[in-house]
Amino acid sequence: MICILALIVFSVLGIFSATHREMAKEALDCVFRRITLRPCNTGFKEKIKSRLVARLLNRSVFMAKFFNRHYELVSWVFFVLMVASTFYVVKGGYNYYLYGSCNGLNQSGFCAFDPKGENNKVSEINPSCGLEVKSEKNVTLEGVDLLTLPTKNIGSKDTVVLIGCYSCDYTRKAYADIQKLVREKKTNYVFADFPVKEASNYSSELGYCVYKEYGERFWAFNDYLFTVDKVLIYQPDYVNKILENFNFDVNKVNACINDPETKQIISYQVNELKKTHLYGTPTVFINGKAFVGPKPYRVYKSTLNKFIIF
Amino acid sequence: MNNKMNGKPVVYFDSACMSLKPKQVVEAMNEYYFEYPACAGRSSHKLGEMATRKVKEARQILARFINADEREIVFTRNTTEGINLLANSLGLKDGDLVLTTDKEHNSNLIPWQRLVEKKGIRHKIVRSNDDGTFSLEKYEELIKGAKIISMVHTSNLDGTTIPVEDVIRIAHENGALVILDAAQSAPHQRIDVKNLDVDFLVFSGHKMLGPTGTGVLYGKYALLEKLEPFLVGGNTVEYSTYNGHVMLKAPEKFEAGLQDYAGIIGLAEAVKYLQEIGFEKIKEHEYSLNRYITEEIKKHSKIKIIGPEDPALRSGIISFYIDGLDMHQIALMLDEMSNVMIRAGQHCVHSWFNDKNIKNSARASLYFYNTMKEAEMFINSLNKIMKII
Repeated sequence: MICILALIVFSVLGIFSATHREMAKEALDCVFRRITLRPCNTGFKEKIKSRLVARLLNRSVFMAKFFNRHYELVSWVFFVLMVASTFYVVKGGYNYYLYGSCNGLNQSGFCAFDPKGENNKVSEINPSCGLEVKSEKNVTLEGVDLLTLPTKNIGSKDTVVLIGCYSCDYTRKAYADIQKLVREKKTNYVFADFPVKEASNYSSELGYCVYKEYGERFWAFNDYLFTVDKVLIYQPDYVNKILENFNFDVNKVNACINDPETKQIISYQVNELKKTHLYGTPTVFINGKAFVGPKPYRVYKSTLNKFIIF
Repeated sequence: MNNKMNGKPVVYFDSACMSLKPKQVVEAMNEYYFEYPACAGRSSHKLGEMATRKVKEARQILARFINADEREIVFTRNTTEGINLLANSLGLKDGDLVLTTDKEHNSNLIPWQRLVEKKGIRHKIVRSNDDGTFSLEKYEELIKGAKIISMVHTSNLDGTTIPVEDVIRIAHENGALVILDAAQSAPHQRIDVKNLDVDFLVFSGHKMLGPTGTGVLYGKYALLEKLEPFLVGGNTVEYSTYNGHVMLKAPEKFEAGLQDYAGIIGLAEAVKYLQEIGFEKIKEHEYSLNRYITEEIKKHSKIKIIGPEDPALRSGIISFYIDGLDMHQIALMLDEMSNVMIRAGQHCVHSWFNDKNIKNSARASLYFYNTMKEAEMFINSLNKIMKII
């Protein structure tokens, strides 16, 4: 059993070191002889066992004695542990490729491939707003009315919904990937601004009015809002200049923003978005499946691929 | 040896396999390569003459070392080559009898076994006494009609030395020639070939502080002259024509091709070093270490020492085993735990182990540069290992 363990360990180490490459060869020979029901004649088993026992002997006679007597059993234990850990590593790799986290979709536990958890970070929504405490499994689009939100590519078989906020770092990180996904896959696309860092609903009202008055021209304006300074975006004077630059009628947009009907609609939108149980931005729904936090592009894309990678 | 490995000093107890080299030996070899790296015995330019002189000096030093004439010294690569040269040059025929001991290194066993197969010679083995010492009785029983007695002087298996004067005397009384494998004796004791009246003697340089790939074959000159050379070619003939050649005399006729001049010069330097220390001191020191180690090892009932219990009869060698245990494990553990380097295995004496049905042994082999402190380190580590066996 120790030969199999050694073969795997030394094969990996052998990538970096010639000495371990030789040992891997010996281990391979030993494994081959064992599976062909012949004794391992390289002395490899003894070599490994003796070196391990000697190291233990320098620390604890009891441990060395135990290992020396039961090393076959200990080898089995390590083999089982290695199989289990290999399973979890493969599973983790699979999850990371598909969901951007080793632990599964939207799971924020430690992941060696993403040690800082960048793929799960969100701009958290204050629970005092009446939202539920963070729980990935509750996040859903079921029963949520999105009809009043900016939408494009209506009629596509796939639908992408991005709930984000203009001044949130993690939404900004995901935004470009979502645009690329929508462009490449030509999906139905719904954008919802959720004012995480804003006292009022000004930015949502602004987006709503531009979309209402200018339709498709909204999307270029929206792209631009994700590139401007995060502080200035909430200052009406600065926004007015942007509107002018886009050749929008500033008075008309501001009149719409101040219209009580707009306030009512935006309030309705926010309440509908809260029904998704979202706890942070960005939250992306692809065909109803929620992705919380900025995932790598391949995660979004593989959801829409027929097969995982294409 | 000042080197440390993994922060611990190295305890080198494998000198029966390979001795460490003094700085002087390495420097002498370097001197050849840096200052006169030319052909000896061929080129007449200054560098060539210098190399020729140094090699000649080396031959003289080696000759004095064993009290021989310089014409009787043939440089070889090692003991194995020396014995093979003799086995193939003595002109043995179908039915000729060769005697060896039961503890021969493969170097002094396989060449004769090959001749049994190829030429039909007879090969008989003189069994040792139960305590591993040489049995003169059994030897005398077998010697009748023997042509060659080829025996290990000091065994690399257990360190026992045969009663060489008696062996040679009895051989000569019975008209047999004697070849002595002195690979393990030349580094540890004074050998006087004239006094012993031995016919041939072979030894290696690498076990006696010399470079690897160097060895010596001594032969009485009259006998060397009668021998057919084993390898021929460059440096072995006076001249040649398209139809024939005239061979040189011994020792040149046995030294075919370009020799390892640096090695030969290094070997001479090693001999000078050994002579300066003196074999009496070497023997005394090795005995004191062997006595201490033997006494300590005997405290473990599971350990069996191969050969006589008395360390005085085992040169600098302590070969031991534990029933049912692969002794490689012991050697590996000593190496891993405390850099104590001993050898485990059958020490090229497979025949003895197979006959006795013993798997292998661990062998600590000492030399004058080992210290009592090192012996204590070896014993301390071995004691620790024995706690888990």
